[in-house]
Amino acid sequence: MGDAPRRAESGTQLLARLEGRSSLKNLEPYLFAEEGSPVHGDIIEFHGAEGTGKTEMLYHLIARCIVPKSGGGLEVEVMFIDTDYHFDMLRLVTILENRLAQRTEEMIKQCLGRLFLVNCNSSTQLLLTLYSLENLFCAHPSLCVLLLDSISAFYWIDRSNGGESLTLQEMNLKKCASFLEKLVRQHHLVLFATTQTLMQKSANSAEGFFPLKLPHETDTDYRPYLCKSWQQMVTHRIFFSKQCSSGNSNGFTVISCHLKRNQVVKRSFSVAECGVRF
Amino acid sequence: MVVLRAGLCPGLTEEMIQLLRANGIRTVVDFVSSDLEDVAQKCSLSYKALVAVRRVLLAQFSAFPANGADLYEELKSSTAILPTGNPSLDQLLDSGLYTGEVTELMGAPGSGKTQVCLGIAASVSLSLKQHVLFLDSTGGFIASRLYQMLQAQTEDEEEQLEALQRIQVARVFDVYEVLSALQELRDRLSQQVMSSTGPLKIVVIDSVSAVIYPLLGGRQSEGLAIMMQLSRELKTLAREFSLAVVVTNQVTRDSSTGPLKPALGRSWSFVPSTRVLLESKEASWDKGTTRRVAALAKSPRQPTGLQVELDIGNGDMPEPSPVTPTQGL
Repeated sequence: MGDAPRRAESGTQLLARLEGRSSLKNLEPYLFAEEGSPVHGDIIEFHGAEGTGKTEMLYHLIARCIVPKSGGGLEVEVMFIDTDYHFDMLRLVTILENRLAQRTEEMIKQCLGRLFLVNCNSSTQLLLTLYSLENLFCAHPSLCVLLLDSISAFYWIDRSNGGESLTLQEMNLKKCASFLEKLVRQHHLVLFATTQTLMQKSANSAEGFFPLKLPHETDTDYRPYLCKSWQQMVTHRIFFSKQCSSGNSNGFTVISCHLKRNQVVKRSFSVAECGVRF
Repeated sequence: MVVLRAGLCPGLTEEMIQLLRANGIRTVVDFVSSDLEDVAQKCSLSYKALVAVRRVLLAQFSAFPANGADLYEELKSSTAILPTGNPSLDQLLDSGLYTGEVTELMGAPGSGKTQVCLGIAASVSLSLKQHVLFLDSTGGFIASRLYQMLQAQTEDEEEQLEALQRIQVARVFDVYEVLSALQELRDRLSQQVMSSTGPLKIVVIDSVSAVIYPLLGGRQSEGLAIMMQLSRELKTLAREFSLAVVVTNQVTRDSSTGPLKPALGRSWSFVPSTRVLLESKEASWDKGTTRRVAALAKSPRQPTGLQVELDIGNGDMPEPSPVTPTQGL
């Protein structure tokens, strides 16, 4: 835990944490290649181009978490870290209104009370914010889902600030990645982070970032550009793309890969007023 | 990369800084990420003092989390929807331009982007009596055209004059001028501090591609970094001060038959929340027509693919008659 004073956990806090942890299995089974996902300690990356439904999927996950058990949700707290001012509260409220049986203001505010939001303006601020959030995780045992949209937002700015040295360019993100890993491990969280497709896939397919070239990677526009420490800590990588079928401007595809077990699954979803629907 | 210096926060004395520096701790990040027990031993400083400084530094430099319910309350009272002056465009945008967001108008040259921007400026200034900041980077802002639009909407000369006075135009021809105009705006708005509804509600930048294009290309990433800085500044302004930001952009294609997509590349494509494509109606041989088609390419609220027809005329400007060959008398 570094330099934070060690806190003794009470029995009820421990129970609350473990309970929050096990119920995440029902978060969104369609998103994962194998049953029983996600479990605590998982780090899931959403990767896709603009307009492929990543943010909508995050709203869907938030709604699944903050809606009370009586409404079919998981009733856990969620922390949303927004690095590019993408989060649209009004859209989330519309989704909630469509999913709750009682659409009263009271109910909505109660659900929103389980959501914490923070905006970061630079990779340095992101790192320092993560340090200060450590206390929040200790104080809220039911806070077990961390959403980060997006972790690639500072890529070009960091690259330019780092000058010629790749190490300097990646330094901040590397620190953020390792601290995130520590947070996820120590507080038994699940982290969902989005990365944007900033680069075009190179013609040379032997990129060598992955020791095993998974077959799905040939049909996704994936060219890894973030630092190695981030790439290595991801446990699931989910690729988003838009379906180009005629007349269906609302169809999206997800290709979900469980990196350790080498399992891949492909599913489609559409986005309606009530959010994502598989 | 904030370097530790005396007086940065209470409790951080010059001697402390010297001791820390001797042990390799120079910046705020170094301090916060190090093991304070370790540091206390090595630098022979009080552990309690270090913990206190750490707490203050974090409070100062990190972002503070807000609760969803509180944020919702705040947004309900500060978000406004601004009419564009064109009812069909309003319909496409789900009632109009939302504050707190960046909306992009893209289209080929001559598709009417500047005209639509002028219409938005006229509408916001006249009907809402709000101030407008118009950053013109192409020289396309024509005051007389704006005046004609205002004249078409109201007969009262005094109202027209007041509306014109509420529109502030700045000619900006490179990205640094844009950034400094935005900084000036930020300073102005910050001084009006307590009230969340200052008189300025909308910033129009026509066009953003004109100032960014010269920076892109080549292998250096500085151009992209400046573009991302600009986009951050726009979004931050929009959110913090509840402004609507409208930008115009060019279009390109991947291949000669591919679909139209916004210029400035992939990294820029993530920036706006809403994107509208303006096109001329097909097969319009008549160059002077004011009919356009607006299609919704990206929206946080509506399904994409919606299309409406627009008339971007000045109101009472007569449509030029089609050219007819002169007949013999």
